[in-house]
Amino acid sequence: MHEAPIIELGGIPFDLSIITMLIVSCLVVFLLAKFATRNLSVENPGKLQNFMEWVIEFVQNQIAGTMDLKKGKPFITLGVTLIMFIFVSNMLGLPFGIVFGYEHAGDATIFGQPIVSVVDAFNAAAAAGNEDPHIEVAFWKSPTADVSVTMTLAAIVFFMVHYLGIKKNTKSYFKHYLEPYPVFLPINLIEQFSSLLTHGMRLYGNIFAGEVLISVILKLAAVNVVGAIASIPLMMVWQGFSIFVGAIQAFVFMILAMVYISQKIDTHEEH
Amino acid sequence: MHFVWTSTVITLIAFVVLYLLLNRYAIGPLMSVMEKRREMVLSQLNEASATREEAAAYVEQQKEALQQARKDAYDIIEQSRQTSSKQADQLIAQAKDESTRLKDEALRDIESEKNKAMAALRGEVGRVSVQIASKLIEKEIDEKSNEGLVDQYLKDVGTKS
Repeated sequence: MHEAPIIELGGIPFDLSIITMLIVSCLVVFLLAKFATRNLSVENPGKLQNFMEWVIEFVQNQIAGTMDLKKGKPFITLGVTLIMFIFVSNMLGLPFGIVFGYEHAGDATIFGQPIVSVVDAFNAAAAAGNEDPHIEVAFWKSPTADVSVTMTLAAIVFFMVHYLGIKKNTKSYFKHYLEPYPVFLPINLIEQFSSLLTHGMRLYGNIFAGEVLISVILKLAAVNVVGAIASIPLMMVWQGFSIFVGAIQAFVFMILAMVYISQKIDTHEEH
Repeated sequence: MHFVWTSTVITLIAFVVLYLLLNRYAIGPLMSVMEKRREMVLSQLNEASATREEAAAYVEQQKEALQQARKDAYDIIEQSRQTSSKQADQLIAQAKDESTRLKDEALRDIESEKNKAMAALRGEVGRVSVQIASKLIEKEIDEKSNEGLVDQYLKDVGTKS
């Protein structure tokens, strides 16, 4: 297992790989979108503009499938941002990784600051009686392979959904918790929080598992020549599958966000 | 599984900033362009249907005009046919008139020539008869004084003949 490069500045911990990868993801998404919409044309769109329009139309169709498109129009940008950000994040961890290995606790510094997690790991190894510890730190990985990132995204959706529900749909929002009987209140509450939890954890679990398997295959490749040869097809298959999983998870995250929004802003009176 | 709380804050900031930037610089303009294109397609469709209706109306008008022209042409031909036959009749009538007129004139000329000839003949016959008579009676008769007598005589002859 790779450690995360965590340093402390004034007692506040910072995960450097997450910060780096978030910036990279945001830059990639923004530059892609900006580049695609550089020469906007009504009558003669370029290839990238067509691609971006396809993305927007795709999200628009998904929103139209979950709610009235008139109500759903403000969420198109949110959906596009979510799907692009998550997809790019999922893909970033696949092609390569940047890993630093450390033999001594004193070497593990960055910008002159000790990497707290590595120091802790060395201490733990020493306590366990390991005389020759080797700790590896991953700097380049998918930001979505970190639980704090995915749970934050889920929480953004969660808070937005409930804010919208209270603001736009006050009466049926609160009534919803007591349906079909007031006895169901705790179940309804649990349902809300479990949906938040599964929303974030599903994405984290899929991408994290993908990266774990990649590092396992890499370890297999390091064992001997047979392992190296065997790891090549395994790696190809798993990389391909990870691309598929990354795309599916981005799509699922986006569509679930839209479903939650539609549940809360739908007034059930018109049916 | 490390849960670093600053990652949460940074993710939140990064995502919100990305959302705002995309909304402001990429997706907002792109969606307005898409909307513009939708409107353009809609207006062009409307225009096309309007043009088609116009064209159909024009075709109808053309058909009517063609029908009208055909009718006019038929009328003109009919009229000219009538005119020509009338003219022919007129010409024939004129020719007939002319011929009768010429015939009448000729008859009149003949008549007057005959009368003239008769008058001349009458004079000649009178003069010759006087000569014959004077020769016969060998008597100097004043032609002039007897002319009235001869005329009287000849008139009597003329009425009797």
